[in-house]
Amino acid sequence: MQKKMIYALVVVAVVVVASVAAMYVLTKPNEPKQKYPVYFQTMGVTSMEGSLASGGIDGFIAWEPFGSSAIIDNVGTALEWSGSIMPDHPCCVVVASTDFLAKDLGGGVNGSVITQQFVKAHAMTTLWMNDALAHKDGANYTLLVDLAMQFTSKSKAVVESSFEHLKYGYLMDDNYFDGVTNFTDTFINTGVISADKLALGGYSSITDFIDKYNDRTYLDALSSVQPSDTILNPNNAVRLGFLKSDIHELAQFVAQNKTVGGAKSMFERYGVKVTNASSVGGYSSGPEEMGKFAAGEVDIGYLGCAPAIQNHLNAQVHTVIVAQANIEGSAIIVKAGTDMHSIDDLQNKTIAVPSTGSIQFVLLKKAVVDAGLELQLKT
Amino acid sequence: MPNVLLRDVAKRLSENWRQYVLAAVSIVAFVLAWQLYSWYLHANHVGYAGYVPYPLDVAHALRMSFVVKDPNTGLAMWDHIVASLERIFYGFAIAAGTALPLGLLMGTSRTGRALGMPIAELFRPIPPLAWIPIFIVILGSFGGPIAIVFLGIFFPILLNVMLGVRSVDQSLIDAARTLGSSRGQLFGKVVLPFTVPYLMTGIKVGLGIGWMCIVAAEMVGNYGGGVGFFIKDKADVSAFDFMYAGMIVIGILGVLTTGVASLFERRLSRWMGK
Repeated sequence: MQKKMIYALVVVAVVVVASVAAMYVLTKPNEPKQKYPVYFQTMGVTSMEGSLASGGIDGFIAWEPFGSSAIIDNVGTALEWSGSIMPDHPCCVVVASTDFLAKDLGGGVNGSVITQQFVKAHAMTTLWMNDALAHKDGANYTLLVDLAMQFTSKSKAVVESSFEHLKYGYLMDDNYFDGVTNFTDTFINTGVISADKLALGGYSSITDFIDKYNDRTYLDALSSVQPSDTILNPNNAVRLGFLKSDIHELAQFVAQNKTVGGAKSMFERYGVKVTNASSVGGYSSGPEEMGKFAAGEVDIGYLGCAPAIQNHLNAQVHTVIVAQANIEGSAIIVKAGTDMHSIDDLQNKTIAVPSTGSIQFVLLKKAVVDAGLELQLKT
Repeated sequence: MPNVLLRDVAKRLSENWRQYVLAAVSIVAFVLAWQLYSWYLHANHVGYAGYVPYPLDVAHALRMSFVVKDPNTGLAMWDHIVASLERIFYGFAIAAGTALPLGLLMGTSRTGRALGMPIAELFRPIPPLAWIPIFIVILGSFGGPIAIVFLGIFFPILLNVMLGVRSVDQSLIDAARTLGSSRGQLFGKVVLPFTVPYLMTGIKVGLGIGWMCIVAAEMVGNYGGGVGFFIKDKADVSAFDFMYAGMIVIGILGVLTTGVASLFERRLSRWMGK
């Protein structure tokens, strides 16, 4: 009797559980599909393509030419270029040490005068580059591609692909200001820059900081700057900083080429003597370059606006942004031959970022959040 | 009798007090020197003054790193500590598990030594940092960092164990042989006990070097964060107060792990003394 009772109870229990489960399963399709987070980890940009090839990561976000390189090597495909995540977002800028601006360079010339000439040369070079890019059948285009190949040590295909996905520009326009304000806001909101550092640096608000840290006076005075027959700083060459192989910062390399300026380099044409601050052909990261600014080894440098802003606010290094260098030019790259076609497909996938303070991290986070997903550190 | 005991305790206490006071003096002197240097840099508006924040700012950052979860990573310092400890543990376990038998082999066998030493001597001085690009690609984000830590811990244990085996007094071995002990007995009763202090030295040195490798390790992979990752991440955004806070945490973790090893060593030697 008792045994039968137990069996009966078991049968009833099974039926109840099964019907509840069945109801749950039947009603489930009506609920929205569960969303999973997108994961990130940090990695040096030079290791990203290799890690993608070996399956260590599912994708990465990096600046050019690293994205194009992975594409041309058939390791990855572009899921999204940064221009579609944040149109016309700023990227690399030209930064000057304020100690250099005030420095007497001899012959009645100070750092500020040289910076003015330098910014002019940078602007003229950028115009030359954009003109070359607009005429792909011209000799200047061939020369530009050649120079880019020399500077980046990448193939013609990679360099040309990079050119398709970034813009060169020197002006600090409304788009630029919107972008850097957005970045600074994000850095403060996410604790990358402590809020009290603004006041510590003597700024009353983010707007005040953006206004003062981006010094437009050099760009505003461009029309009055003339070429110089003589070198204005013969004994105190500008110690120039830039990131190794970073095609975003190609302008400084082109401005040092004698053919481009017509027998003189563009820097020389405007009377500026320039020497590379790094003895190994460029710095490996923005934070490293800012360290060289802090150490007094760099006078003017090209680098990402994110490390410049973070370093100036967090570590109070005496610098100021004097011009823009490039716009856009980063990409989310995923492994080639996989079925990842949209940000939504990145759920449960791991994407490498250069660091949590990078523009690329901000871009990835924006893309992920805009798709209604969450970005989390891979555990 | 109680008087003697009391005097003994008092004596030990006074001796220890001296140690504690000296330790405190050394720490306070260091912090003071740091404060002075930082003050000097700030007062003179040196370009890199921000790279040497005041001790109090670092103390504040240290506290914040424990109580506030980083919005970008969702982690606080405890999470980083757990992640790093896990890496050190795996690296240590694999290193000890391989270095001990190999060290014993290289200590006892001339052939083993001749075969092993060239490789050990060639690989030992290579900085773990140099392996980063290759480990990222081949070992990935989980195994890569463990492999870096392994490299740091492996060689001190290997070489110390080998040294320990070779330091066994030949007359002891001869005596044991005369008394008719087998090879196994000789190994278990003479060679191994002699080697243990050397092994422990190797472990302590190795753990220290293991922690020295943690930043490099967590540049290879940083699943779940890690204190080395924290340090690099904060340095990348020029948040040097937080970077130093992470460095202090590593220093303390290093002291604690070698402390645990010392405790274990004392237990072991007391047990072996019996």
